[in-house]
Amino acid sequence: MNYKDLSEKLVQKCLRSGADAAEVYIETGRRLSVRILNSEVDTIQEAATAGVGIRVIVDNRLGFCHCNDFSSKALDDTINMAIAFAKLTSPDEFNILPSEEGMAEVNGLYDPSIIDVPMQQKIDMAKELESLALKDPRVSKSSGSGFGEGETEIFIANSNGLSKSYKSSACSVSVSVVAEKGDQKNTGGESCSRRYFNDLLPLTEIAAAASRKAYELIDPVMVKTQRASVVFDPDVARSLFGGVIQALNGDMVNQGASFLGNSLNEKFASELLTIYDDGTIERGMASRPFDGEGVPTSKRLLVEKGVARGFIYNSSAAARAGTISTGNASRGGFTSLPGISTHSVYLEPGKYLPNEIIAATDKGLLLKGVTGYGIDPVSGNFSGGATGFWIEKGEIKHPVKGLTIAGSASEILNGIDMMGNDIDMQRTFAAPTFRVREMQIGGI
Amino acid sequence: MEKLNIRDIPRRKFIGLGLKGGVLVAATPALMTQLVSCRGKAPGLDMDKETLSKVIARALARGGDYADVYIENRISRQIIMEESKFRSGLYGISQGAGVRVIAGNQTGYAYTDEITPEKLMRAAEVASYVAQGGGAHTPADLTSAKRESFVTVQKPLADIADEKRIEVIERANDAALSYDPRIKMAMVDYYDQVRSRVIATSEGVYLRDELPLLFFIVQAMSDDGNARHMARERLSYHSGFEMFEKVTPEQVAENAAREAIAMLSAEASPAGIMDVVMQNGWGGVLVHEAVGHPLEADNIAKGIGAFTGKVGKKVASDLFTMVDDGTIPNFRGTINFDDEGTQARKNVLIENGVLLGYMTDVLSAKQLGMERTGNGRRESFRYLPIPRMTNTYIEKGESDPADILASTRKGIYVQSLSGGSVNPVTGVFNFTCREAYLIENGKKTKPVRGATLIGSCMDVISNIDAVGNDLDFGPGICGKGQSAEVTAGQPTVRIRGINVGGSRA
Repeated sequence: MNYKDLSEKLVQKCLRSGADAAEVYIETGRRLSVRILNSEVDTIQEAATAGVGIRVIVDNRLGFCHCNDFSSKALDDTINMAIAFAKLTSPDEFNILPSEEGMAEVNGLYDPSIIDVPMQQKIDMAKELESLALKDPRVSKSSGSGFGEGETEIFIANSNGLSKSYKSSACSVSVSVVAEKGDQKNTGGESCSRRYFNDLLPLTEIAAAASRKAYELIDPVMVKTQRASVVFDPDVARSLFGGVIQALNGDMVNQGASFLGNSLNEKFASELLTIYDDGTIERGMASRPFDGEGVPTSKRLLVEKGVARGFIYNSSAAARAGTISTGNASRGGFTSLPGISTHSVYLEPGKYLPNEIIAATDKGLLLKGVTGYGIDPVSGNFSGGATGFWIEKGEIKHPVKGLTIAGSASEILNGIDMMGNDIDMQRTFAAPTFRVREMQIGGI
Repeated sequence: MEKLNIRDIPRRKFIGLGLKGGVLVAATPALMTQLVSCRGKAPGLDMDKETLSKVIARALARGGDYADVYIENRISRQIIMEESKFRSGLYGISQGAGVRVIAGNQTGYAYTDEITPEKLMRAAEVASYVAQGGGAHTPADLTSAKRESFVTVQKPLADIADEKRIEVIERANDAALSYDPRIKMAMVDYYDQVRSRVIATSEGVYLRDELPLLFFIVQAMSDDGNARHMARERLSYHSGFEMFEKVTPEQVAENAAREAIAMLSAEASPAGIMDVVMQNGWGGVLVHEAVGHPLEADNIAKGIGAFTGKVGKKVASDLFTMVDDGTIPNFRGTINFDDEGTQARKNVLIENGVLLGYMTDVLSAKQLGMERTGNGRRESFRYLPIPRMTNTYIEKGESDPADILASTRKGIYVQSLSGGSVNPVTGVFNFTCREAYLIENGKKTKPVRGATLIGSCMDVISNIDAVGNDLDFGPGICGKGQSAEVTAGQPTVRIRGINVGGSRA
């Protein structure tokens, strides 16, 4: 099926059926997943799917429908339904569709060769990854390994003449193992996702990380409830900065529901904190030439030396705020209206090696795992469960589990006093190791 | 390891507060006609038994022990009011079918969103990849099976005029905003769906049914210039529109607004080990996570679950009895039969502290040589069925809830939790409190914010030392790589010595 033609034709059909403006979003794709357990295939899943989401505007009123049946009868019904909904809605002048032309230049989103790799090779890769992770004598069991791949093609057309499409691919390998000692159990997992098959990391490297995460927290020692430094590992950066990113969401700012809503161009965090959002990184897992409603993506500075420099918007939220879209419309697939989210987020690295940060810490927690929701974007509170290592006099003493950490966003973000230089730009949320001077740690 | 989690509202609300835009979705009489026509024309559901038999035979042509076909049609609509405007909404039709083959411990699965005999045969062929080399297995003839239903509908969603849907949303919005001038914003999320499913298995079972579902969420945000709190209350049943007569939209809204105002004066939570009294109702998510997930049989069959090999053993306090029951009339977690066709039932998992059994699906029951318990569920045709909870609760005890509080000298009183997660292998869990208070000398005193509860499942169920007589439930969304509608319930309980995370000593 020629989906580009279809998307444009459906826009015209919406207009003929009574819409003042219309947008058609089609997503097609295929996926394959292989799960291995104890050197045997556990599951193989495969599918090819397609669906369409249709947004119409009638007298400033908005309607939306989605459907995964491409028969002309079903598509007609879907359009009529969307228009009928729109007629029932309250009018809103900010119901607009974008007209931005062009696409951001992003290289390396699609690897046509993934599908050509034989199935048996994919199965064997996952089996090998599992057996490599089980090699370490401290690891006792596997809880499974896997290989996954997918291809997606997006088509967007709207009545402002916008018509764009792009194709992307992804593949991943993952493994999870268990280390046991007496009654103690600990799991460790690692995965690697890339746009290109040949970019996947060596299996030995992935397996070693999973094994290490499983055994390194065996024999934890509990510490007392106290205030101490917390050194954040790159793995847990999202737990802290995820809430900051959510608080920069233009919808939340418009609704007065963000703790950073009144902080534009004001300092709210340590000078060491600079955050970028970038949809254009070559072969980036979160890169795309245009956002969920067709606006070109770009690289943007969100936080500069602790000062909030920009919120993120889709077209409607931007119109309400009196500005233009930042190319951050997101879609949860064809079944939803555009929301708002970032692409690849990364921090500007600092000057310290992770070991230098630990060596400079008199007493504190090297945080490796956090549970909970992170910073609450509405109130700015942070509270979660914590695992990692205890640091004393600049040295790692022992593993710790079952701790809690908590604080207010302002206290934590202003308390960042050392920024590492160990950033891995392959992550979609990339941060180096960094230290917060002092936080409340709950123990015994 | 997949992190298992539960939340009280859809994830989208955490990350975006919003589908931007505004739709008032609801069926006018004209829309209703289309709705009915869409439903009437779902041809996939009418796929005849002869074709389904051929698909199953194809799935087992290379060998394998078991195969099934699952066909689904889901019609959903969602209306969201934010800032007193009907801002967004969705109307969706989703249909598709999946074919599964089990061969030994291996599972093959393929799905399609075009429900035609050709596509199903192709899916069967792909799914049979895992069964290479075996001799063909002859499936049993398909016969319509009988299953008891636990969902009754008095006012079918299809007969409800749009004005009624709009009215309940507006009533909730008005009630939240008029509760107190410090309520600055309300958000009302109305969702309903009708899910139709057809299940056909190589054991000869053929089933078809239709389940309605309503989910109504009111969030209220308070702001007094110093503090801000987003509170929420939910209501959800497999029910017709009569749900709003049993619990009114105003009641839902006022509960949310009450929490929003109460938490404005919250102080930082203390940190450290303390006694926790959990109010009856949704607090049951703690055992849903901490005990329920580790009792799902998939990780047990893999030999890695925290409760592996513990059937018949004492695992909890004498006061602790835990049940998973997919048959409670009209509850959000009620299923009639699971997505593999097994009749839903009441399963007592732990009785007076002794572990009686696990929750199984077809595969894990076969692997463990245990009965099927009716817990094989799936989010949609895009997912394989796996063991999942339904309505899970701590059975009521004998204590007066007021006495439980009065006899607790010092600790935290948890009135509502947002949600939490557990690692099913280690049994380590965490929970985020949304509304909590200090307990001082047997009384609920100051509200506290930012409290997290963490611990291990084995410890928590051994440390329950008081169970109230006031069992109640709350609706939620359980995540395990795919989502499931559940309820969690409990009477008021006291747990000694939980690690509470807070921002002051």
